[in-house]
Amino acid sequence: MTISLPHFFSSSRPFGQRLLRRGAFVLAALALVLMVWAPPAQAQEKMSEKEKQMLAQLQEMNQADGYLEAHRDVQQPMELLGGPLSFTIRQTSGGVFVSLPDNRTLDPDVFGTPDQPLAFTGTPGITGVPVPMRGVSDGQFTQFERMSPFGDKNTTMANGNLMLQATDRTATDAATTEDEVMLKASWEDQDGNTYAIRCCEMLVSAGPEFPTFGGVVTNHILHGFTGIGTPLMPTEYTYAAFWGMGAVLKNGEVVDKPRIVHGMLTEYVRGENYKLVSDSEVTPTRRHFHLMVAPFMPVKGEHKFQPKDVATGFELPNGMELPFWHVMFENLEIESQRGE
Amino acid sequence: MSLVSTHTLARTRWLLGLAAVLLFLVGHAPEAQAQSSSPAATVDMTNTLSFAPDTVRVQAGETVRWTNGSVIVHTVTADPEEATTDESVRLPEGATPFDSGTLDPEERFEHTFEVPGTYRYFCIPHEGAKMYGTVIVTPAE
Ligand SMILES: [Cu+2]
Repeated sequence: MTISLPHFFSSSRPFGQRLLRRGAFVLAALALVLMVWAPPAQAQEKMSEKEKQMLAQLQEMNQADGYLEAHRDVQQPMELLGGPLSFTIRQTSGGVFVSLPDNRTLDPDVFGTPDQPLAFTGTPGITGVPVPMRGVSDGQFTQFERMSPFGDKNTTMANGNLMLQATDRTATDAATTEDEVMLKASWEDQDGNTYAIRCCEMLVSAGPEFPTFGGVVTNHILHGFTGIGTPLMPTEYTYAAFWGMGAVLKNGEVVDKPRIVHGMLTEYVRGENYKLVSDSEVTPTRRHFHLMVAPFMPVKGEHKFQPKDVATGFELPNGMELPFWHVMFENLEIESQRGE
Repeated sequence: MSLVSTHTLARTRWLLGLAAVLLFLVGHAPEAQAQSSSPAATVDMTNTLSFAPDTVRVQAGETVRWTNGSVIVHTVTADPEEATTDESVRLPEGATPFDSGTLDPEERFEHTFEVPGTYRYFCIPHEGAKMYGTVIVTPAE
């Protein structure tokens, strides 16, 4: 079978077989994998020229680049159809769910098959999952072979507090935005430490690798097959979402800043035992709010990301610091209105 | 009226709870007696989105007590109007739907079951995560 492949995949055999047969390729893949979730400085040193080239090629192949190029310099962007939409999302009691590093099961609807893979371009973990980083069994992808914030493992923390006030005015990505976000969120671990996120000092008016619609988007579809946000989250209808630069706090003190903060109110994407479901298993009739501080930073002047762990100050059982925040709020009060 | 007591008792609102119970005793003397007796079964609501145990058996006229032992807000809901899928609620014919409303950590809810049969209930915020429980009510001996 002959298939059209990205040029750095030189063989025309199906990916799965090739992966099994080519030890060298697997080694290169492993090296790339190690790089992805490691701190960038270390990662750059460890990467060979060939690996750097592969990463650069994947980033260059990012499918949203053309779209973003058309929008990112627009000085007077169009307004949202129907006018501005303002909303408030609050949680005033009860705890939160905090994602822990885990392997993500790969949904064939999003990632295709080893023969016909999907969603592999862009910065690994941000907009794509490179094929060599995927487990393969019986001709199907199994899981993302690296730990990420997108999996089933989680813990609960007490006293979740969320206050989000936002307005979606600007429709498209552009050089400027009229969108607004004010977010304060906090929660407490068992030892009584308080963790908090503040956002947004600045909205991401145009995404480096995927559209952000002026920083706030309403009534849209994100993640999964959409190419907007990581495909490691299922495709999910999103009532409201934002991306902006904010701060990470522990016990009232800023521990990391600036960081990209992403929040979204979506349909319910967890199943039994809080498993992160596949596309066909989402519950469209329930909602929850996700707050994310991803272990990545945009590269200045370039339309791509690089890995950078978040200094959360929360210690995992193995002694490592949790390198991201991915927190779910589910006891929500939601209000919204059209117009100023 | 098979729906007997639906008031929650938080430790922090103990006095308020006591006042509510007293009000009940004054206003609904026959119904409130069920609340003063100890429950025939107790169910914990957990951080891992389950009712533990997920199935309890009581006799008609007996009371089940739910305690939110988690840090997460839950509900105890057996009302088809609150459910978004058919599988979330099952009520025996003639039984009255019930709903605890929001239960913060450490809050409690009690319900006395008058109609025998199998009750399937759920937690509203965690319906998608299939946080379900079952109460099997046998006829009074
Ligand atoms: Cu629940």
